[in-house]
Amino acid sequence: MSHLVARLHLPLMLAATVALAFAALVYVLYAANLMAFPYDYDQGEGFEVHDTALFSRGELPYRDTELYPFYASNYPPLYHVLAAPFVWIFGPAYWYGRLLSFLASLVSAAAIARAVYRDGGGKRWIALLSGLAFLSSNFVYHIGPLYRQHTMMVTFETLAIVILASAFPRQNRRLIVLGLILLICAGYTKQLAAITAIAACCWMFLRAPRRALRYTFAFVAAGAVIFALLNFASGGQWWIQTIVANVNQFIPEQAFGLFILWFKLHGFLIVPAAVMLLYETYLDRLSIYSVWFPATAVLGGIASGTWGAGDSYLVTSVAATCILSGLFFSRLLAQTWRLPPQFRSLPTTALAKAGLILVPLLYLGYARATLKMPTDGHFAGVARALAVEGNVRDNFFDSATFDAGGYARIGYFLAGADRAAGDKIVAAIARTSGPVLSEEAGFTMAAGREVVSNPTQLRNLHLAGLFEGEQLLNMIETQAFDLVILRAQFYPPPVLASIHRRYALQETVHMNGFDYSILYPNVAD
Amino acid sequence: MYSHSVRSPSNRLDFTASRVMTKLSAMEREDSPVTKKQLGIGLLIIGLAGIIALLAIDVIDAGRPGGIGPAQSLALLIMAFLALVGLSLIPRGDAPA
Repeated sequence: MSHLVARLHLPLMLAATVALAFAALVYVLYAANLMAFPYDYDQGEGFEVHDTALFSRGELPYRDTELYPFYASNYPPLYHVLAAPFVWIFGPAYWYGRLLSFLASLVSAAAIARAVYRDGGGKRWIALLSGLAFLSSNFVYHIGPLYRQHTMMVTFETLAIVILASAFPRQNRRLIVLGLILLICAGYTKQLAAITAIAACCWMFLRAPRRALRYTFAFVAAGAVIFALLNFASGGQWWIQTIVANVNQFIPEQAFGLFILWFKLHGFLIVPAAVMLLYETYLDRLSIYSVWFPATAVLGGIASGTWGAGDSYLVTSVAATCILSGLFFSRLLAQTWRLPPQFRSLPTTALAKAGLILVPLLYLGYARATLKMPTDGHFAGVARALAVEGNVRDNFFDSATFDAGGYARIGYFLAGADRAAGDKIVAAIARTSGPVLSEEAGFTMAAGREVVSNPTQLRNLHLAGLFEGEQLLNMIETQAFDLVILRAQFYPPPVLASIHRRYALQETVHMNGFDYSILYPNVAD
Repeated sequence: MYSHSVRSPSNRLDFTASRVMTKLSAMEREDSPVTKKQLGIGLLIIGLAGIIALLAIDVIDAGRPGGIGPAQSLALLIMAFLALVGLSLIPRGDAPA
């Protein structure tokens, strides 16, 4: 029996590796396809390109939105600062930001594999599968190659946690400082990293309270100084735009839906990670991963339920899940449990034998749960063999489907028609001479025009009672804009009402599965 | 061994202070980790305080319509879970957390 188990282990591990490598291949092709596309794919990407362009000119995007061009960003600066040198060489474009994010996701996967290898007793194959599992996640796939700062934040967080996991117990001061600097980098890439920072500081406190307090004090002080400098440099707009305007409505259905989806997709690894968490909580010492995992799952999951948030808010918890489950599998196979005397009668050898079959099966189950792929072109044969049919735009299969609010409705490959549609909108802008009000910045930038307004930011400020929009409303009422381009109609209700009063829909352009409304001044006025 | 019965009150104070100082300096040298029991007590306090605070929202803001909302229920559930985990950790004693 044990001989049979040992013989089955290798082919099953190979099958799991092939399945997860296939997911990685689809991810690479999706990223390459996306990098070649010169317009917005995920709503808001263009505004991040614009933030990068502003930083490249030494300007801050934290501005008074009451004044023309009514633009402000709600994101911290680091990701855009890192991409700024590309603007000097190539001008504003999407590809390099998407490339940076994609490479960052690969670095995260490598850091996960490294952590499992180092802290799991050198199990190379499990380490590889853990890294690949991260790239196979539908949530990682969606956000990974976008011109969004989220992936870079996850990378900084993962690197910080992996470094601190080893450096803090060894009292390696240089690496601890590096880990904390990476945490500050994560926080100044996206505010959500605060969850990871809290988890890391709590874990350090559990290990060595006095030392942890000293490091935490220095960490908070450094972060506060940067915060104060940004607030001073922006005349107080940093606080308004990135903190006050970021408090959004909590939608319970969205949070619950995403929690369920998170578990449905990643359950094959979440359960082993949870067992590892239980083991460390009651029978061994808590590793940093066991503090990071529940913190990012619970708090990240709750945060994913806020308006404008989504599945990406759970990506950090996916990284923690991959590490913790990898460590569980490594210990299971190597029988390296540190059990108290009363638990030493546990049949660890029998469990390890069962693990030879169970571990690859769990990775195979995970690969099936997270399956996504094109169902046409070169993939048509594979899709038929796997009995999957396109459930997204008829030529893409996504196992997560679209059954939860906040789930990214992206992931499919872009076609030539999408680019042609974007070109058509840019051509419409080029035919005008005056300012253009667009819900997506990519079109106006491509036409060499000024980016005017950031609709979601204006909406958030309006809800917080911080945007009156007198000047913007006046420009709309006097038809100062030659063209208005709407997609999701995120502008504050008074702005939308004014637009619909003074502008008339002349054309609808379909791009990326969304309808872009092109409105011109109402000639009847 | 010292005997409490043969020491004067001032001696007892000196003895206690000296023990505290010894303990503190030892802690500083060793920076002892938090124990499972201490973590359990901490989580229990956070959980109970959280439950009280969340319920107090309705008491303080009595005119608020709708009673306990879904977000509040979720937070209550998390706090109750924290308290239970804390309670279950206390018997694990002085093992490092």
